[in-house]
Amino acid sequence: MSIKDKVPVTILTGFLGSGKTTLLNRILSEEHGKRIAVIENEYGEVGIDQGLVINADEEVFEMSNGCICCTVRGDLIRVLGNLMKRRDKFDYVLVETTGLADPGPVAQTFFMDEEISSEFTLDGIVTLVDAAHIDQQLGRSDESSEQVAFADVLVLNKTDLVSDDALDTLESRLRDMNRMTRIIRAENAKVPIETVLNLSAFDLDQILKRRPTFLEPEYPFEWTGVYDLDASKYELRLEEGPDPEMSLVALANQGESEEELKDGAESSVRLYAEKANTLEPGNTIPYGEHINLKLKDKGNKSFILHIEKPTRIGLFTQHTAEEFNMKVIKSDENKEIPFNTERFWQAEHEHDDEVGSIAIERFGDVDPEKLNTWMGRLLSEKGVDIFRTKGFISYSGNPRRIVFQGVHMLFTAQPDKEWGNEPRRNQLVFIGRNLNEKEMQEGFDKCLI
Amino acid sequence: MPDIEPFSPRGMFHEGWKAEVSDYAIACGWALKGKQFIVGDVAGGIFAFEGDTGKIIWEKENTHSGGLLAMAIHPDGEIFATSGQDGNVQIWNCQEGKVIKTLNLGKGWVEHLKWSKDGLFLAIASSKKVYVFNEIGEEKWISNDHPSTVSAITWSNKNELATACYGRVTFFDIVNNKTNQKLEWQGSLVSMELSPDGDIVACGSQDNSVHFWRRSTGMDAEMTGYPGKPSHLAFDDSGKLLATSGSERITVWSFIGNGPEGTMPGELCHHTEPISSLAFSNKGMLVASGSRDGSVVASFLKNDGNGDPVGAAFAGDLVGAISWRPDDCALAAVNAKGVVNVWKFKVRTNLFSKGFK
Repeated sequence: MSIKDKVPVTILTGFLGSGKTTLLNRILSEEHGKRIAVIENEYGEVGIDQGLVINADEEVFEMSNGCICCTVRGDLIRVLGNLMKRRDKFDYVLVETTGLADPGPVAQTFFMDEEISSEFTLDGIVTLVDAAHIDQQLGRSDESSEQVAFADVLVLNKTDLVSDDALDTLESRLRDMNRMTRIIRAENAKVPIETVLNLSAFDLDQILKRRPTFLEPEYPFEWTGVYDLDASKYELRLEEGPDPEMSLVALANQGESEEELKDGAESSVRLYAEKANTLEPGNTIPYGEHINLKLKDKGNKSFILHIEKPTRIGLFTQHTAEEFNMKVIKSDENKEIPFNTERFWQAEHEHDDEVGSIAIERFGDVDPEKLNTWMGRLLSEKGVDIFRTKGFISYSGNPRRIVFQGVHMLFTAQPDKEWGNEPRRNQLVFIGRNLNEKEMQEGFDKCLI
Repeated sequence: MPDIEPFSPRGMFHEGWKAEVSDYAIACGWALKGKQFIVGDVAGGIFAFEGDTGKIIWEKENTHSGGLLAMAIHPDGEIFATSGQDGNVQIWNCQEGKVIKTLNLGKGWVEHLKWSKDGLFLAIASSKKVYVFNEIGEEKWISNDHPSTVSAITWSNKNELATACYGRVTFFDIVNNKTNQKLEWQGSLVSMELSPDGDIVACGSQDNSVHFWRRSTGMDAEMTGYPGKPSHLAFDDSGKLLATSGSERITVWSFIGNGPEGTMPGELCHHTEPISSLAFSNKGMLVASGSRDGSVVASFLKNDGNGDPVGAAFAGDLVGAISWRPDDCALAAVNAKGVVNVWKFKVRTNLFSKGFK
């Protein structure tokens, strides 16, 4: 049976008072042509006269091996086991959980139980958040941060009770915790149905189409400019900007393709990790070193670039060129040399929450066996803290890309569309608690061929 | 060559009859000593056919609003019970299809029904409670709440009922309202069967294992390595063999000698998709299996649990339930499309010969 034939299931989570029942009733009363079977928690109160509403106690069953990642919802297995015999009566399933539920066991049920996974497919996890109270809830309970971490869609509800500034701050906090989620603002749970149903949320292409940079790692610099320079003396001229100093790495022989830019960025990340050498205006900029330009003085400040033979120079700067109106000037002609290529990067910033996202993006192929060993070890050691995994991988020798998705330590890897002319690369996102980004990236790098 | 049996078992499915019910058939059974065959579908339709010809005798639709969940035919074959999502249990007369009694147990699903072997009691499981009624629908006993929804019930003897739920099997003396024994195991028990003498308790667990207990010695064992959860279990009438399945394979444990601990089980690999129903013949070591792929196979087993197929047929779609006629001379399979197939079955062995009239 292919995915197309399986019945999609949406899981609806959120704290008490976040508006789940309102959203559920909205979905059920709207004309969308779907016949939805609803599995409601024991306290649920769907007020609509609708064909298939089944109440279920939340029975969370742990396995004898004690592994929390194998924990499933026994009641769902029974209820869905019966529903699968009534396929002609419905074509969609919505599972509503109680406010305190851990979404893990619900999601895991669709991976762990063969009978269920052969008939149903998890379409997405929708978490409702009460904009006025989530800040406190996140501080107080693990469940609320897990519900945020698991979400494919976060409905930021009751926005009418909160100022726009507070909403922006909240949204960036939630985004930090879960970078692959889609955040929708709503009043009174009023959201377009297509934003919560039939998401194919596990389909990464969808997410990438929506936010092409969501997989991007964060860098200690915001901008790169590549300049084509002849052998000569140049000045890097900066005006006043937002900061009295700025870090920079200059790389010689910088290529302009996306792949070369990313390689340069990786080298620069390593250099940025070293202590910076301070340069005063008038000093010469060395190549391949982390330097810190002193920009306290008023007016224009110039630093020197010496080029001995024609090359392309990449400047990886902490801030964007625009912020300091930064220019490269050929000294003898006093002529500005524009950059050939520029690239903006996702800037690093502080993360306050324990729950966060890690992205790994690498060009090239991986060795399937090495990857399996690494993923296996990672998930068995950290599975409890890794809530969601999504991504695609390029296996050496395989013409199709491999799609990964997982919940805790359960994951599936399936061949997807052919790579064709697309450059082969790997993109993975992990959402979890207290994850060590560096360690995971290094682990992944060892799987590359 | 002493290994070769001089007379290997032979059997065959002969054409019987075919009929249809309205929806996905989930339960079936023989009544009136094989003269009648009753089928229940998921929507709540109940149909009685003539056992020999398949001619419809009576039919009822919408017997349980929300749908049917279980059906059990009384050992004497004169009455049967049904239960459903409406929280009701109905006791019916087989002959005319008349409801003798309707019991309402609340709003929870009523998922399991079992008559005691002597037919004096009907055990009913609904959510976390188990109820016992007598044949005419008088309440005799109610359990306290179990720690989770009761997943299986079965009678261990005249007055003793076994229940399985998450983490435990409990034995209740329902006449003296006593708990006789509790067997604990941290796992979600999804199926339970007892050996005919009531000593061996076998449970399939959600973690893809089968757990056994021997009540007389208190010994227990866990059989792991199943590819899926073993939802289907069946003992033969002598209690020597336990057939189990959680995939397209059937694993048969032999309790002869010191087994099954430390022994290799028998394996039957006849189906291409997971088993959806499993039943031993009423007498002898013949096991019939139905699969999601629609195939039905009867296998004749040896003492070590291995065996050979002695007949096979195609039921057309996922096999919802199978049932041997009380004389084992016919096998019925009902499927997900509501099709009922009854084959005449004939088998000859060097041990017994039947079916040839």
